[in-house]
Amino acid sequence: MTDSMFALIAEELARIAADKGETLPALDPDTRFLGGDLPIDSLDLATLLVVLEQRTGQDPFRAGFVQFNTIGELAALYRPGVPAGAA
Amino acid sequence: MSLRPPPSWLHPGVRLIEAERSVGWGEIAAQADAFEAAFRAAGGRVALPPRGVPALVAALVAAERAGVELRLSRRTTAAEAEIPHHEPGFAVLLETSGTTGAPKLIRHDFQRLRGRLRGATDPDARWLLAYEPAAFAGLQVILTALAAGATLVSAPGAGAADLARLAVRHAVTHISATPSFWRAFLLALDGDAPPLAAVTLGGEVADQPLLDRLAERFPTAKHRHIYASTEAGALFAVGDGKAGFPAAWLDGGIDGVGLRLRDGVLEVSSPRAMLGGDGGWLSTGDVVEVRGDRALFAGRLDGRVNVGGIKVSPEVVEQVLLDVPGVRDALVQAAANPVTGHILTALVVPAPGVEEAVLRAAIRTAVADLPSAARPRLVTMTGSIALGAAGKKTRKGTA
Repeated sequence: MTDSMFALIAEELARIAADKGETLPALDPDTRFLGGDLPIDSLDLATLLVVLEQRTGQDPFRAGFVQFNTIGELAALYRPGVPAGAA
Repeated sequence: MSLRPPPSWLHPGVRLIEAERSVGWGEIAAQADAFEAAFRAAGGRVALPPRGVPALVAALVAAERAGVELRLSRRTTAAEAEIPHHEPGFAVLLETSGTTGAPKLIRHDFQRLRGRLRGATDPDARWLLAYEPAAFAGLQVILTALAAGATLVSAPGAGAADLARLAVRHAVTHISATPSFWRAFLLALDGDAPPLAAVTLGGEVADQPLLDRLAERFPTAKHRHIYASTEAGALFAVGDGKAGFPAAWLDGGIDGVGLRLRDGVLEVSSPRAMLGGDGGWLSTGDVVEVRGDRALFAGRLDGRVNVGGIKVSPEVVEQVLLDVPGVRDALVQAAANPVTGHILTALVVPAPGVEEAVLRAAIRTAVADLPSAARPRLVTMTGSIALGAAGKKTRKGTA
């Protein structure tokens, strides 16, 4: 996992939460998306994945569903070295 | 007063677990008696707002006794819907889900609803309700558990993560849910997993990677995905662990259901469902591609997309955005993702001089009445929207 990918996920999660009027607890790579403390549902998680595809140009799920539970596990699915925000 | 016996479709051994409370026929019967008095007084047609599964079951018992139509609402404040006219008597009215705020009411004859139930008569089964109780699929799960005298665990309104916790805590053995639910369920499960014996998928296309993940995670369970259409209900089940269905079924049919392709669209004929139209054949609107010996689903003919098990129309949502003052043009399209299948996204061209923050707030207000699956999750402001060769907006992501 790259730090920049973690930072990008944290930034977009915060934006999604803010749109719902929620604030996020402190995040770390072991933070779970669903079933943990984050105030997000599966539609929010779906939104995050679409935004990450737009911002990184990568779709790790092209072939279908890949298991991940935590921020760290999701970040590891993206290739390092692609600058966050590069469009 | 002595306890009245349950109706033939409710096994007295049933247990309903909701909000940490477990109720059996005794509690259901008492509530049914109270409902029955009210329903007889009202007569004709009665409505039940969402009040949880035990109340819904009691209302079904009472409505049958009182001979009234029971409307099961999905929202506390039911939008006014056009009500189909019919002979009086016991029946169940369900609201459809979809893009717009006004639900359509579908009247179901109770005996025919029950006639669709199949399999799973195991009284030791512990079901988790992963659909809304007042939705067609939810009612099927409830009626299955009632008939078997099984245990049903429910938490209406709870998300997949909460339901995953409940499934582990109550050692659930049977779950029927949408692929979107299953993906979120897998994402939410920690090390612990419920002892599932039956994994059923329906309501959306089941993709191969998800079927593989479920087979890995629940290797001893029986896995199947169900194909249903709005008009005909559940039509067939696929149990070989592969996406789509065997192409041979397009010739011979399956389980009494005839299947054929017309211009790439799946048509069905079923003796169970009263289908009108062309010699009993009904177009499902689902586009199917045959690859080798497999028939695979490839989207909807009408451009509707599946968002977490709910079919939504990008065009209808686009009309909602175009009606917002300050919006000069809008394009709503589907973006694929591995959690809910799709979400809707929007490109919006603001009218000159409109402040973006003000416009965003107006859009938020305008879409607030839509079901959450139909709201555009990402709204991007843009200077113009490209038109395709035919002079129409090019809508990506729809078949």
